[in-house]
Amino acid sequence: MHELSSDLWTDPVIEAYKRDVDRTLLRHALRLTPEQRLVELQRLVEFAEELRRAGREAKRRP
Amino acid sequence: MTDFAGLLRVLNESGVEFILIGGVAAAVHGAIRTTRDLDVVYARTSENFARLAGALAPLNAYLRGAPPGLPFHWDVQTIAHGLNFTLDTSLGEIDVLGEIVGGGSYDQLKSHCVKVSAFGTECLCVDLDTLIWVKRAAGRPKDFEAIAELEALREESQRSE
Repeated sequence: MHELSSDLWTDPVIEAYKRDVDRTLLRHALRLTPEQRLVELQRLVEFAEELRRAGREAKRRP
Repeated sequence: MTDFAGLLRVLNESGVEFILIGGVAAAVHGAIRTTRDLDVVYARTSENFARLAGALAPLNAYLRGAPPGLPFHWDVQTIAHGLNFTLDTSLGEIDVLGEIVGGGSYDQLKSHCVKVSAFGTECLCVDLDTLIWVKRAAGRPKDFEAIAELEALREESQRSE
């Protein structure tokens, strides 16, 4: 594997994507512990699953 | 739906040598994007094959997306003869990888990890620089947004240090 830190180069495509990153959310996440971040991830996954279930149910309704 | 904490506990309690990578590793570092599965790189040793088989067999590990009824058995022989597996289990989706593009094997990644305590267990998680490197090496357009977020995270971490 390469020497990682020194090999990280600036990619103009990634730089363009970076302009749209909401850094307020990242700053919030950085204040949490790794475990709290994983708990938030689990909650998001559960929320998304519930939305999918509701969407499927709505499609079945006449 | 994947129970991340449950899968991590099972792997740890079985003594599996593994490294967290992918979306869950990104979340550990503070990324806010969601992921559906747990990605781990495991050590390719016969002892670890046995631990991995013992950990996931009781969870009915089966090839994700494969039709039911295939002669697939999650055991030491299957792991030894294969390398990377995308699995469905009773605790959700897990990718069990012997090697990853840009990162290599467990042994190669081990020196690029941080120790993470979560859910009463401790595990190795690939560090942020390596995660960025690996995502870049994969070269998938679908990862562009994720890489941008990880690089922004690195900048924000450095700013707050």
